[in-house]
Amino acid sequence: MFLEMKNITKCFDATKALDDVSFSCEKGEICGLLGENGAGKSTLMNILGGVFSPTEGKVIIAGEDITGSDERKASGAGIRFVHQELNIINDLRVYENLFLGEELVRGFGFTDKKAMREKTRQVLEKVNLGDVDPDLYARELDTSHKQLLEIARALLFDARIIILDEPTTALSEEEIKNLFGIMRNLKADGVSMIYISHKMAELFEICDTYTVLRDGKFIASGQMQDVDEKQITTMLTGRTVKKIEEKENHSKEVIFRAENISCGKYFRNVSFELRKGEVLVFTGLQGDGRGELAEALFGIRKMTGGKTFLEGREMKYTSIKTVMRSGIGMIPRNRKERGIIKDLNILDNLSVAGYARDKGGFFVDRKKQIRSFEECKTKLNLKAGNPKDAITSLSGGNQQKVVIKRWISLKSRVYIFDNPTQGVDVGAKFEIYKLINELAKEGISIIVFTSEYPEIQQVGDRLIIMYDGEVNRVMKREEFDENQIMYYATGGDRRKGS
Amino acid sequence: MNKKIITRQNIRKIQSEYSYLVSFIILVLIALYFNHSFLSYSSIITLISNATITGVIACGMTLVIIAGMIDLSVGSIVALTAGLGILVLNKTGSIALCILFCLGMGLVLGLLNGVLTAYAGMAAFIATLATQCAYRSVITQIGQGGPFSVDRGILKSFSKIATGKLFGSLPVLVIFLIAAAVITWVLLTKTKFGCYVFATGSNEHAAILSGIDVRKVKLAIMGYVGLLCGLSSVLLASRMSSVTASNAGSGYELDCIAAVAIGGTPMSGGRGKIIGTFLGALMMQMISTILIAAKIDPFLTGLVKGIIIIVAVIFQKDTRNG
Repeated sequence: MFLEMKNITKCFDATKALDDVSFSCEKGEICGLLGENGAGKSTLMNILGGVFSPTEGKVIIAGEDITGSDERKASGAGIRFVHQELNIINDLRVYENLFLGEELVRGFGFTDKKAMREKTRQVLEKVNLGDVDPDLYARELDTSHKQLLEIARALLFDARIIILDEPTTALSEEEIKNLFGIMRNLKADGVSMIYISHKMAELFEICDTYTVLRDGKFIASGQMQDVDEKQITTMLTGRTVKKIEEKENHSKEVIFRAENISCGKYFRNVSFELRKGEVLVFTGLQGDGRGELAEALFGIRKMTGGKTFLEGREMKYTSIKTVMRSGIGMIPRNRKERGIIKDLNILDNLSVAGYARDKGGFFVDRKKQIRSFEECKTKLNLKAGNPKDAITSLSGGNQQKVVIKRWISLKSRVYIFDNPTQGVDVGAKFEIYKLINELAKEGISIIVFTSEYPEIQQVGDRLIIMYDGEVNRVMKREEFDENQIMYYATGGDRRKGS
Repeated sequence: MNKKIITRQNIRKIQSEYSYLVSFIILVLIALYFNHSFLSYSSIITLISNATITGVIACGMTLVIIAGMIDLSVGSIVALTAGLGILVLNKTGSIALCILFCLGMGLVLGLLNGVLTAYAGMAAFIATLATQCAYRSVITQIGQGGPFSVDRGILKSFSKIATGKLFGSLPVLVIFLIAAAVITWVLLTKTKFGCYVFATGSNEHAAILSGIDVRKVKLAIMGYVGLLCGLSSVLLASRMSSVTASNAGSGYELDCIAAVAIGGTPMSGGRGKIIGTFLGALMMQMISTILIAAKIDPFLTGLVKGIIIIVAVIFQKDTRNG
């Protein structure tokens, strides 16, 4: 075995991110590392890359124990990380980007530009970017070239193991083919690769072996050719099929309708209908265009095509305020960045959206604010003392409740919940599900964007599964099945020729 | 629940939230040491009157900084409006018209700053740096570098604005500063607009997603500062009876920003208090008073001010991430 990670356990305070996980890879092998969000893939790779040291276990490369080495040592041992998000700096030249932090120097600490340019040309050749000038500014490259640049960076110094963390999310079909060609060449040179991806089709095309993690535990590993997609999906999700509660629904009255809406490269030709009192869930994996779709429906992002109708009238997305006035509200994802306003107290955080939407009234109505606060306490079970306390004095779940109440107070007819339970504890999660279902019962239509199966199961009446910016499959509540959802979210039934 | 009053958190909170009070008290004690009648009615009133002309602008500057911006052009706005205001006064002979003109002119110049920052998307620092040069140049050209003086015929009644007294002994200037502070305080703490100002400076992204038209908010803030500059220019013209195009109001932007900073408003925006700025403006004035009383070379005023700003701001230390 070339690389062996033996019985790795990693604890962060009380939580075990990895529990006795073993992983191995031969020389010149491409290993697929699979797992749902939070399964422990990143933690495992960060241990390999020297970002974390394991609580227990050993990392051995070519017989040498490198356990507990830091990032510099790990990279010296030939381990290279190609990150999912681009770390290319636009204002630097191509060769400067490649050598960032590892510049070649000649005497007196001057950088050796000539040698760096020369070496850059060589590695660019290897990633089929031979026609890119090393002196070009990175801003002039398009996204796929930047992604290849990340890979080129990994090849600068003798790489023995390259970790590729979802390298294809920003690439087109053609570019993915190119990437796979490059990977095969590297493989022929004896470089081992660990490939992390959610896309089944790609995993089956490029990987030799697979290793599946779930909830920080090792589930299975073996040769890729011995399994099929359905088996992998079952391993990913676990066999526990939870019983689905009955949900009653509903009227046939369509409240909101989208016709072939598109937004550049993010999503294309999405059409759907939302009925009165219905909870429609959108799901998918990273890079499916869901986040952008949510933004476009609320008017934060301009659509490049298609139309939407609210109660039969075409929506005009002139400003967020007009969207709010027409009766749509959105609870944004990423509470810290988009939800809470950290320097405002709880009261003002509750009421900003209302202020912005409603005309008139110059002064703040303290009594109304307090009423809203009390409602939030009883209806949403908000745990807060003084309403004038800073919002940051609340726990994450309670902060999220405040953000939700900010919008519920507007009494909109349609709500978009974009990842409403991100970073929220379990108790608060269930209170939020309960609230969504209660709103639906009152006849309010709701669109939820989520990637968590329990959430789909708790609130969804209907499910739209996105893949690569398009609707891949629509499911009714009776059809919900975690394995099936995973199958379609990973692009099932959509590969070429099928 | 057991309530401990003196905890480390509380001390830190007091340090970051009320440090301006501590600095203020320390300065008052120092002033008392040099001048035992410092806390007499007449010295207090004199102090406030002297702080008024920059103090009213500092009130507006507080909004600007809370919203995450800066305005470097206030001094030039004062010079431009004061100069033109005196021309209007001399031409028409109407004090009311002059005041209206100055307020309107200030508002327009401020709104221009607002358009550049909010709608043309320039950084406020650069936009107002540019208008600082531009406004100043316009008035210097008009006055050909020289002074604008109020005509003798109208001087006596015009200078009453700044030197007049109410109830026998209360200078009108004091009323202006207190009124500006109170109005700004109401605006900031009791109105929806105030809430938008904090929201814009604290988390612009979340503010936009809540439907707040952040650009309008920024425009309004810049307009408000301009309006206060207009008021300040009337007071300056009335007090001095003559303003020099090339140096009237110069350095006001720094005095205002310093007053806001030692008043406890962090430059990162999102937080801030008008009472802090009010005391901050008084402190800036007190420093000069103390230096005179202590017979320190007036050339060292800048050094002492600088040191006090540094000490006060280090003392406040941002505890938000702590």
